[in-house]
Amino acid sequence: MTAPTTSRPPARTPRPGRRRAPSGLDRARRREAAALVMPSLLPILVLSVAPLLMGVLLAFTDAELVRRPDYQFVGIDNFTRLAGNSFFWDSFRIGMIWAVAVTLLQLVAALGLALLLNSGLRLQSLTRVLALIPWAMPPVVVAIMWRMIYSPNAGPLNAFLGSLGLPDDINWLADFSTALPAVIVVGVWVGMPQTTVTLLAGLQQIPPELNEAASMDGAGAWRRFTAVTLPSLRPIVTSITSLNFIWNFNSFSLVYVLTEGGPGGRTMLPMLFTYLEAFKNRNIGYAAAMGVVLVVVVVLLLTVYLRSQFRDDRVETKKKEG
Amino acid sequence: MKTRGVSIAACLTITTALLASCGSGDAGDDGPVTLKFQALSDQPAAIAATESIVEDWNTENPDIQVEIVPAGWDGVYDKLITQFNGGAAPDIIHFEAASIVSFARDGYLADLTDLMSDERRADIPEGILDSVTVDDQVIAYPTELQSYVAFANRTLLEDAGVEIPTGDTMTWDELREIAKATTKGDVYGLGWGLSSPTATFMSLAPGFGGTYLEGTGEDATLTIGEGEMALPELVHDMAYEDESILPVTMTQSGSEAIASFYAGQTAMTVQGSYQAANIAKDAPKDLDWVALPPLAGPEGPQQAANPQTLSVNIDSEHVEESAEFIEFFTQTENLAALNEADALIPATTSAQESLTEKLGDENGWSTILAGGQNFVSAPYLFADSYAQWKDTVATPAYQRYLAQETDETELADQLTSGWTEITQ
Repeated sequence: MTAPTTSRPPARTPRPGRRRAPSGLDRARRREAAALVMPSLLPILVLSVAPLLMGVLLAFTDAELVRRPDYQFVGIDNFTRLAGNSFFWDSFRIGMIWAVAVTLLQLVAALGLALLLNSGLRLQSLTRVLALIPWAMPPVVVAIMWRMIYSPNAGPLNAFLGSLGLPDDINWLADFSTALPAVIVVGVWVGMPQTTVTLLAGLQQIPPELNEAASMDGAGAWRRFTAVTLPSLRPIVTSITSLNFIWNFNSFSLVYVLTEGGPGGRTMLPMLFTYLEAFKNRNIGYAAAMGVVLVVVVVLLLTVYLRSQFRDDRVETKKKEG
Repeated sequence: MKTRGVSIAACLTITTALLASCGSGDAGDDGPVTLKFQALSDQPAAIAATESIVEDWNTENPDIQVEIVPAGWDGVYDKLITQFNGGAAPDIIHFEAASIVSFARDGYLADLTDLMSDERRADIPEGILDSVTVDDQVIAYPTELQSYVAFANRTLLEDAGVEIPTGDTMTWDELREIAKATTKGDVYGLGWGLSSPTATFMSLAPGFGGTYLEGTGEDATLTIGEGEMALPELVHDMAYEDESILPVTMTQSGSEAIASFYAGQTAMTVQGSYQAANIAKDAPKDLDWVALPPLAGPEGPQQAANPQTLSVNIDSEHVEESAEFIEFFTQTENLAALNEADALIPATTSAQESLTEKLGDENGWSTILAGGQNFVSAPYLFADSYAQWKDTVATPAYQRYLAQETDETELADQLTSGWTEITQ
């Protein structure tokens, strides 16, 4: 936080008289804590960590989905093969366009909506609930609904455009130029609620005095937004965009139902591609390698992004202090 | 969700282990045997026909009860893969020859060569039996065959002064001429659901001398020459030179494209023959429709045989009983009833004859059944990488070509280089 009211507290010094060596009571407490944590840790180990490790190991084998599989360790063969797979990198590029576009648009749209919901309009509690609706719908339902909306023959979207005198025969999901943008719109729509809710919570944390003080100093609405609201929201924006990016990059069901990666592979997201490799081509070893590559790339990108965010933070804090 | 591919794979492994340990418990010889029959029929009449055949069997065989597990055609390949790997596959499996072959190669299907009766073997035309024979083993009973048929709106054709073609066959050029003649105003000559064009183009290629694949198994090679390119080029010319194909239909599925035929927006539509059952049921009452004669290319009216199939899970505890049931299911009268309900062509000669006798020319039946004479064995059924190439290379490549994103040379290049990349 870079709000002017906060200043760094002096570094804590250990309280005098604090016991250094753990006593018997401490040990008992520690055992107690471990016993309490185990029930929740066990499912994580069994259901998350173990499959993850097995998946990573699979990436180094030539495993196939066949009867009585017999697979061998093949080292990094899968990865070298993957490096030369132009289809995969094509789909990777599409995945990046999709994830970046959806995440950015989600942020902008959700920020607008959050500001609106925070501005004290009438029926605020009702509209806040309405804004959550897309979140309550399963992705498959959303996709089917949007497929109907985009339908070239009988879709309400084309009917609406037609009534305005605009072209009413756009084949949204099957035209090469509109398919990816059309899918991105759906992605934005479905992901907006959680971003909105998070940003709204952030907005409510900003002390109203800050805005008042700024307007006393003669700042207009835009200046107040850029100088007070946005900087205060910074940490929240950073975390929600990172989460959204991961979520969007890995999205599957929405696009699978909307286009199945078509037309002509124009919406073939990396997760769809991996799914095809695993379940159509049945090379789960190779597909696992794709999964590993995707995870590594996402983690790298996020590290770079989060680092730059925190570095900015530090620089700004220093400036203010100095 | 972070590692979807990875965790799916890993979960599957765990599921396999769990299911394997559960599965071994329920043996027991007492009581009637229950067979699970996963049926994909999705048309109400066909579902009823299947149910009635199963009911007859259950009454006749109190010791071997068959239980239908309904499933859909959509995504059934993926479903079977997970079922087989999870050890949860049904005893009797309904699918199609082109896609079941890869399961046979992986050893999931029981060898039915010795279980099939001589009577049935003699009754199935050779080209069709070939399509369910893998490495000299019969791995499935063929049941129903689909041919591609052109349906026409008689009123629109007559208004345009076109004589309705008759005779044993009609050529693709005739179809093109009629489409051109009937295209005017808001009406297009042809609607053709080509959102997944690969199977359509490959099934119709034999009429143009196209073979696509040579060799079997892992050694199959792909050639894209004149015969393979003829039909895609024809469609392309009709769509963009003649402008006689309703553009939106080329991005739709067959059943979506049929809506514009009902609405009178297209004078003709090329569909799987099974749509005859839907047209007879769903078309507006005042739509006067007719099934046109089988379409013939320069080489004739051949189409690739890709029958629906019934196979037996090799891990089933009751392989023989399952085969007995399939033997019953494919008896002449049962197969005839099922195909009549589905408007498809029975895979046995006797059932084809029985249908011809029964139905005559009603609802385009003579045309549909005439298609039964034109099936040839489909070489692509025997290539291991076909299913993979179709979904990941061919369908997107054809979609790009039909949307004018690429030209003929690029299409041919994408099809062949994609094959090389997959089979390397």
